Amino acid sequence: MGKRQAADSKMSPMSADGSESQIYDHLELLAAMGQDFSSSLDIEASLKRAIELITEYVDAEGGALFLLDDKGETLRCHACEGPTEITGLTLNAGQGIVGRCVQNGSGEIVRDVSKDAGFHGGVDEETGVVTRSILCAPMSVKGERIGAIELINKRGGDGLFEDSDLHLLQVLSASAALAIHNARQAEALVEQEKIARELELAAEIQRSLLPDPGDDDFPVAGVNHAARTVSGDFFDFFVLDDDRICFNLGDVSGKGMNAALMMAKTASLYRCLGKTLRQPGRLMARINDEICETATRGMFVTMAGGIYDPKTGIVRMANAGHEPPLFHNTDGEFIDFPAEAPPLGILPSMEENSEFPEIEIKLDGGTLYIFTDGVTEGYLEDGRELGVSGFKDLIRENQSLHINGRLNAVISMVNRGDVALRDDLTLLAIDDATGHAARVAGGKVTKGSKDKKDAGSEEAEVLLHLSVPSQPDRLKLVRNAVSETARFCGAGEDVIRDVVIAVDEACQNIIRHAYGGSPNGEIAMEICRKGEDLVILLRDFAETIDVAAVKPRDLDDVRPGGLGTHFIREVMDEVMFMPPPSDGGNLLKMVKRIT
Amino acid sequence: MEHEIQDQGGCVIVSLKGDVDLQNSPEARTILLACVERSLPVLVDLSAINYIDSSGVASLVESLQTARKKGTTLILVAVSDGAMRVLQLARLDKVFTICDTIDDALKEIG
Repeated sequence: MGKRQAADSKMSPMSADGSESQIYDHLELLAAMGQDFSSSLDIEASLKRAIELITEYVDAEGGALFLLDDKGETLRCHACEGPTEITGLTLNAGQGIVGRCVQNGSGEIVRDVSKDAGFHGGVDEETGVVTRSILCAPMSVKGERIGAIELINKRGGDGLFEDSDLHLLQVLSASAALAIHNARQAEALVEQEKIARELELAAEIQRSLLPDPGDDDFPVAGVNHAARTVSGDFFDFFVLDDDRICFNLGDVSGKGMNAALMMAKTASLYRCLGKTLRQPGRLMARINDEICETATRGMFVTMAGGIYDPKTGIVRMANAGHEPPLFHNTDGEFIDFPAEAPPLGILPSMEENSEFPEIEIKLDGGTLYIFTDGVTEGYLEDGRELGVSGFKDLIRENQSLHINGRLNAVISMVNRGDVALRDDLTLLAIDDATGHAARVAGGKVTKGSKDKKDAGSEEAEVLLHLSVPSQPDRLKLVRNAVSETARFCGAGEDVIRDVVIAVDEACQNIIRHAYGGSPNGEIAMEICRKGEDLVILLRDFAETIDVAAVKPRDLDDVRPGGLGTHFIREVMDEVMFMPPPSDGGNLLKMVKRIT
Repeated sequence: MEHEIQDQGGCVIVSLKGDVDLQNSPEARTILLACVERSLPVLVDLSAINYIDSSGVASLVESLQTARKKGTTLILVAVSDGAMRVLQLARLDKVFTICDTIDDALKEIG
């Protein structure tokens, strides 16, 4: 009588009249199938076992389980049982009896395939198996088509299926569909959890890219709150070996993982290059070129970054397409600094060693705020955007707070924890209050001692007065004079060498830049001793130069020329362009402590 | 400034002496570049340098860059204290290969 009788208890034969025991048998089979799908991690193996069970239970010669692909365009045989191995066979979604069945969403019994125009005879021709009769039932869950189960040739008798066989197969298909659906959902859930875990790891690494908060009196602080797990915003600050502080804040276009990866790249470039390349404009241009070289999918980065010197309170900064940073001065005014260059990653520089424009801000005890648009476009409790004016109000209201307190006051207004953030929130502030106080205190000491000098005890003693024409062949003369004067004051050989280098380079600058190489100018030098200090005044009578344009060269950039100003600043304790004398020209003051 | 050039062991050895400053760094530049043009390794002896300024250092950098473009090397040898101070200020002491003696430099080239 075929396999039904040979099967174990779960597969016990069903009686023709559809008795209680028959229903019980169905349930047993369904339970076994469901159990298999839910406990197995391998859906394909479960499909194989399901088609085996169903083929055996309906007592067919062979069976195949077809699933629709994601797009619903093709039907692929994922598992089969019987004389013909067709696993992997792919049909168009509407092809053959199985395709028709899936499209119509109803089961079919084709008692005699030779009389059915939809029959796809290709497999029979290839395998030599003769298909006489087909039973096919679609699988769907909540109206979503999943595939179909097809059985061929009833065992025994005339080999043709009965209507009762179709009913049975439809019940089994419905159950298999549910099991497959659940298994797929479980699989998707596992995948989702895996992605979530990986995202969390990525976020952790990303957070580690942010700097550790400094001590309470550290002048720079920042906060970053991601709208999603990972962020496209970043900020960073670190102390350079000369005690200046390099800082930046950036915003990558877009959100999510791609923005986060771009953020990691840009932040790393800044940190790495920023340690040696100390001109923000050049640094920005370098990073821009680097990003342009490998930019993907039209992503770009807006960034404001620069260097703050606590000793002078001066910030030099470049702004690449970023929201205008706001400077809150001690008079309570806000001044914004709109970007003068496009975002990074859009236009590679046209020439080598190009620079982004730099801005110089003298903080004088004030605070510079840099933020992403997530802050100003963040929603307040009443649904309005914070806006730049709201930001200013918050800063004013919280002016008495410490720098971190002010940042948190702003953040807490737009990130209240009850609603998802609209965008990443990132804020950085540079507070010059401490630096300013220290400078004022230091200034008083100097002033005090100067007052004492003015009282008569320690006047500046003029040691040397020298005037030479602006000719390169007089430099040796100047060097010798400086060297002997410093030696006369008891300076050590290293100090003498450094002072000579500074004066020589300063004279070169006068010859080359102030007089433009003309030999007819005059260079006047005065060297005084003031306590422990050697004070050198260098004067020329050329046109007054733009002091801001005189800046030390970036040493990372190995090329001839432009080193002199760097040497001077490096070896002297104090270098200052004095206000231009009333009769024109330029006056440079350099101080070197002798001991 | 004085200078002296000699060939030894397949290398050009150029010794600069005295002061290399704004007055004579153009001359130093011409001398150094002419040596590099020969596409042989160049050893620049700086033991007798009394003073070298930023323009002198610039000539050295330009010569090094030219040498590298030509696929050869330029090594500084026996750098005097004064010259070393300037190289350090320019952070170029890590950019140049610097050897204590001509023999060391010849070994360095191999």
